[in-house]
Amino acid sequence: MTTGTGEVAAFRNVSKSYGRVKAVNGLDLVLRPGETVALLGPNGAGKSSSLDLLLGLREPDSGTVELFGGSPRAAITAGRVGAMLQSGGLMSDVKVREIVELACRVHPRGHGVDRVLATAGITELADRRVDKLSGGQEQRVRFALAVAGANDLIVLDEPTTGMDVSVRRQFWEAMRAQADAGRTVLFATHYLEEADSVADRVLVLHKGRLIADGSSAEIKARAGARRIGFELHPADGAASGPDFDEAVLRALPGTVGLDVSTRADGVRTVRIRSADADAGVAALYAAGYYPRGLEVTSLGLEQAFLTITGEQDRTESEEEYVR
Amino acid sequence: MTTLVRLEILRTLRNKRYLMFTVLYPALLYVFFISAYGNGGTVANGVAAKSYFMVSMATFGAVGAVLTGSAQRISLERKSGWTRQLRLTALPGRAYTLGKIAACAVTTLPAIAVVFAIGAIEGVDLPAVQWLGLAAALWLGSFVFAALGVALGYAAEPDAVQPVVMIVYMLMALFGGTWFPVSDSLRTYARFNPVYDYNQLASFVHGGGVAGFPIAALAAFLVLFTAAAAHLYRKDARRA
Repeated sequence: MTTGTGEVAAFRNVSKSYGRVKAVNGLDLVLRPGETVALLGPNGAGKSSSLDLLLGLREPDSGTVELFGGSPRAAITAGRVGAMLQSGGLMSDVKVREIVELACRVHPRGHGVDRVLATAGITELADRRVDKLSGGQEQRVRFALAVAGANDLIVLDEPTTGMDVSVRRQFWEAMRAQADAGRTVLFATHYLEEADSVADRVLVLHKGRLIADGSSAEIKARAGARRIGFELHPADGAASGPDFDEAVLRALPGTVGLDVSTRADGVRTVRIRSADADAGVAALYAAGYYPRGLEVTSLGLEQAFLTITGEQDRTESEEEYVR
Repeated sequence: MTTLVRLEILRTLRNKRYLMFTVLYPALLYVFFISAYGNGGTVANGVAAKSYFMVSMATFGAVGAVLTGSAQRISLERKSGWTRQLRLTALPGRAYTLGKIAACAVTTLPAIAVVFAIGAIEGVDLPAVQWLGLAAALWLGSFVFAALGVALGYAAEPDAVQPVVMIVYMLMALFGGTWFPVSDSLRTYARFNPVYDYNQLASFVHGGGVAGFPIAALAAFLVLFTAAAAHLYRKDARRA
């Protein structure tokens, strides 16, 4: 494979272990210019480790990581990457303006301090001491350090941790402006609604592996985008009573998951996760059922995410069992 | 890189703890020693107490400034993630350490100058050349301890670094002639204590001539500490 200009970042079969823990396991991934990409995963999924590898803070055990066709360090030295780390400590005994000025000065394509302060929404904090800031304010200073120059890629590790709701909204507005200016943005988060509303590509990482990669809509569809819920009463016909057969429900078009529970009076509560709820419901009636209290609801990205990671866990435990 | 160095110096001078421990504390101790020994008092070998302690308190302050300024800050900033943040800038890896050492080098000057000023007021009388030579010798000697501080900063975690620095600092001072002259029986061993050698740099103002062995020993310590610091820095960078 050639490393053309179309690749911002590339992981090729990258693995990294800490002791016996495989933090990143055979990661293959390419980021393209202009994408806004969300990296999702439960705690310990390997998000931060992947970002460390991407930024060259750690070396992979195997595989290669490239930024703009070269080493991460070369990309940083050329001023093409800005990053905001989860544990990015700040200097003490300095003012906000001073630390931002430092970041602007050392950046090969640095912006003016005032512009960066305004971008990060911290102009009014400029003369405050860095050690006297709240958690959310500190996050915005870190963001300022990440946008101190004309970067082509911005990497953010859980950027909105510690921010309250209104600040968070402001932050994403600033972030969208960066993306609109043609920059590639990669951010790790555990707020799924952020991924849903901001990202045009979502990556799901689980136990160091990439288990889903697509738009937010695609991820939801894969998880079964809608939930169909209803009750079947025995009084409504044999199909809902003595002749009830789960296999029929399972065979409905679009069915991804099925859950049936039966009460003592014979009423069954059915929940179907479906990738095609319209066809599923039509087929349900066609099969002679009379669903009561029918509800079709949309799954959020959060549920989709839980579904996908849950499936992965089941597959893995089955694999273990087979072995 | 000059921006970083300037900022490092500025923040050190702003820090009140720095001023307390490295400028005020040795100065007060010096005043105390002068009054304890009396105006005409001498220590062993007939060296005037006010001249002896002027040197030993200047080195005490300089070593303190340099060790706490580098070791403690480096250790804390490794923990807080500031060193990682800096690695995401175009600054070369050595810039951070160089910034720390440069800040140390600047901040030892007030520690030395204040004690010298008190000495001059109290009647230590030296030719101008000797004042300048002494200040230069003590300033240059402090770089040895800056290197040690950097090594300790990369070796120790933040919760351990303060006691480690204090123990190293106090032991070296105790057996290095800081509070009392080293006795003849201990001198054989004291020669391998960098603080003792550092204090001996001043022997030319005590009528001893230029000290050859201490200069050579300090140069060797500088090489040793720098190598240790470089090794520990590289190890730290690999761990991110």
